[in-house]
Amino acid sequence: MSAFPVSRRAQARRERRRCEQLEEEARAIPVKLYGLRRGTVTGLTALSMLFAIFTLVPIAWIVINSTKTQANIFESPGFWFARPFEFFRNFSLLFQNVDGYGTYFRWFLNTAVYALAGGIGATALAAFAGYGFARYAFRGSRALFYLVIAALLVPITAITLPLYLTYAKVHLINSIWGMILPSMVSPVGVYLMKVFVEVSVPRELLDAARIDGAGEIRIFFRLALPLMVPGLMTVLLLSIVGVWNNYFLPLIIFSQNQLYPLTVGLGLWSQRAQNSGNAELFPLVVVGGLVTIIPLIALFLVLQRYWRSGLLLGSLAN
Amino acid sequence: MHGKDRRGIWFVIPFLVAFLLFMVAPLGYAIYTSLYTTKIIGGTAFSGAANYTQTLHAGDFWSGVARVIIFAAIQIPVMLAIAFFFATIFDLGVVKYGRLFRTIFFIPFAVPAVVGAVMWTFLLEPQFGPFTHAASAIGFHGVNFFSSSLVFPSIIVIVIWEWTGYNMVILYTALRSVPRDVVEAAILDHAPLWKIILRVKLPMVRPAIVLLVFLNTIGALQLFTEPLILSYFEPQAISASYTPTLYIYNTAIGGGEYNLAAAAAVVLGVVIVAISVGSLIFRRRKGQLA
Repeated sequence: MSAFPVSRRAQARRERRRCEQLEEEARAIPVKLYGLRRGTVTGLTALSMLFAIFTLVPIAWIVINSTKTQANIFESPGFWFARPFEFFRNFSLLFQNVDGYGTYFRWFLNTAVYALAGGIGATALAAFAGYGFARYAFRGSRALFYLVIAALLVPITAITLPLYLTYAKVHLINSIWGMILPSMVSPVGVYLMKVFVEVSVPRELLDAARIDGAGEIRIFFRLALPLMVPGLMTVLLLSIVGVWNNYFLPLIIFSQNQLYPLTVGLGLWSQRAQNSGNAELFPLVVVGGLVTIIPLIALFLVLQRYWRSGLLLGSLAN
Repeated sequence: MHGKDRRGIWFVIPFLVAFLLFMVAPLGYAIYTSLYTTKIIGGTAFSGAANYTQTLHAGDFWSGVARVIIFAAIQIPVMLAIAFFFATIFDLGVVKYGRLFRTIFFIPFAVPAVVGAVMWTFLLEPQFGPFTHAASAIGFHGVNFFSSSLVFPSIIVIVIWEWTGYNMVILYTALRSVPRDVVEAAILDHAPLWKIILRVKLPMVRPAIVLLVFLNTIGALQLFTEPLILSYFEPQAISASYTPTLYIYNTAIGGGEYNLAAAAAVVLGVVIVAISVGSLIFRRRKGQLA
């Protein structure tokens, strides 16, 4: 393909961003109307800067220390680089089975599979169910919906531990399905999709299509689904993050290290680093931690537009 | 009821099946398991409320419950105050680079608790940690962030770091939806800024705050990952029953007492439901009085 359409798309994107910014400015009330004293803006910006530093300190630390040897991680100043620069050597450790307990790269792939399969499944189920709850009044629909909401109260512990006990009976211990299938159940997702459908899929539109003789399935896929995209993106992102960051469930259902996700692998290495005296393990935990957080931060930055509008849903609760 | 309404159930059924299999059934199985006891000799036998009696008398379980309640009572108000403060000033537009700050504050949400805890453990490490060095540089020599008195506030700081941005973004989007004319009317009445914030904006985002209190409480009472990771690095700082979830984990996985752990999980569930529903009712009643 030529560069032409790409640059045009970039231009459209710039345009859209400019429009958004203008819209935001138009909505905001000019600061001077609040009758603030001079210096207030500077003071508040400085406060925001302080909290931003607090937020970025651990990230800066992990970036800097991913370039260090084990000795330097402990002995050199934490917030400055030290020779030798070992980032690439540390990075290459991610592809090796350093202490015989597993390979980071493998765990990374596992995590991606669990997060994508679980996230997409959760989003699909939530989209169907949210639409069903929002736009149909079948018998018991309200009671069922409240049951789903009530599930938000149930501690993960009270479900995860019995899941493990049940898995032992049905051979789902050390099976990727034992991880993926429960990740597809997202009561929050159903709640968010229901609210989103109520706000953004007009009942009249669906009724008009029915009068034209369209079937229910067709109406869902052709009419409703396209209107639900921002909500879908939010639920997808939240579910992916949920699975990517999940620690408790994989910790207890996997005993084979080739099935571990990143969280369990890094937890294991943290423990081994402390106990085994292996000089590679601390750099491995640090560089592994860094590589774990990069994909999600990137995903959030790229998809900001979508989840920002979707998160609004959380505030519509009533 | 229309014919089309009855067809709606088919949209809900796929989720309901998964929901029943992976949430309701395990919960039911937990209750079932908690009523039995497995002995090395004699196998598994029905034991009624024995596991519950044992849990109710387990002092270390309840001290963990007390700890997470205190944790929630401190961490959530502090975090929500910070989140509301920043959400407000970003919404008012009285900060330069507000957009950039909002993005930065949100970053920890994308960091797994495991990695967050690992990073903070290194930063606070008693011998080499940069924060320990910084503390001694400003005169606090020999500070140990993982000592029995400081490990609790340290975990609070870690959790505040993880969750403030997420709460801030939700409050910010809620504040954005406060109608502009309401605020303009207040300005025309010469209401001072703090009054506009506390009397006009805060009441309009109350539903969002209630939701956040609710979700954060449920999360805080299940505190697990951060103390567990800390215990890998600093085994003496965190006991096996530091939080109720750690107690359950160690009873089941470490001790192999699955029936007892199931009973403890059910009890913890009841405690969490009682506290979160109780706080909702309390809020509603307070709202009616006001």
